[in-house]
Amino acid sequence: MKFLRAGARQVVGLFVGDWVQSAVVLVIVAAGWFAVSRFGPVALVVMVALLSGQLVWFARAEGRPSSSPR
Amino acid sequence: MGQQLFIFGAAFLGSAVESVEALTIVLAVGLTRGWRDPLLGAAAALVLLAALVLGFGQLIVTTIPDSALKLVVGTLLLLFGLRWLHKAVLRSAGVVAMHDEEHAFSQAVSQLGDATSRRDWVGFVLALKGVFLEGLEVVFIVIAVGGTGHGFPAAIAGGILAAIVVAATGLVVRRPLARVPENTLKYGVGVILTSLGTFWAAEGMGASWPLDFVSILGLVVVYFAASRVAIALIRRPALA
Repeated sequence: MKFLRAGARQVVGLFVGDWVQSAVVLVIVAAGWFAVSRFGPVALVVMVALLSGQLVWFARAEGRPSSSPR
Repeated sequence: MGQQLFIFGAAFLGSAVESVEALTIVLAVGLTRGWRDPLLGAAAALVLLAALVLGFGQLIVTTIPDSALKLVVGTLLLLFGLRWLHKAVLRSAGVVAMHDEEHAFSQAVSQLGDATSRRDWVGFVLALKGVFLEGLEVVFIVIAVGGTGHGFPAAIAGGILAAIVVAATGLVVRRPLARVPENTLKYGVGVILTSLGTFWAAEGMGASWPLDFVSILGLVVVYFAASRVAIALIRRPALA
């Protein structure tokens, strides 16, 4: 049972480090899904910009000097 | 051809990183408790993982429509790649300590030293667990990278070759592969997987990329640039 739980944790952990960041990524992808059919390539550019932006944003939030190093 | 090479390379690099972690566990157990049971445990884990790849891989590819598969697997690959990239950014900026296989190895050895009075199957179970759990990531990389772009054989070949190369190196050196630049590899693979994930997720949405798969290189440039910006913004003196 412990082994199965560790396996399940490992599988979830493959995709989710920070639940908020994962949720933001999913919202961006979902918004992209709706936008691509309406706005075409422009929506792709915006989606990639938002995905890159969230990478910088969450790294900055975690790397702020006030947050303790792990 | 170019896309197949890209798939092979991504599967090879991603699998190599995880194989090094699995090898570290097997070496630690083998050197402490003898080789027979840990090697049997590792072999059992490899059989389980191969069954997962063949079973799930075939099932996924044959039953799910191409666009849905690209959207779902692309999104999962995006989450997976961004997670590695996020960690790599924090490590490169000195916010989180670099992953150290030598340290992981000695930690495992000292834990096993306390368990020497237990029965032999401890070595078997520890090696099986370590190889299986680390191998799950290899399975995901192989299925995700190969399953969407009709590149399953190339991805499986990349994953298997990585495991063979790492295992052969481990046999020769009988020490953890501490010199493999794991953090650099994870950084690079994180960028590639994030780019592939974005590419496939968008294709699953019905978008068509200019220049087809060559756009992946453009995505690599964008995500790499974003990660450098993040590192520059949070850089600290390096941790050990």
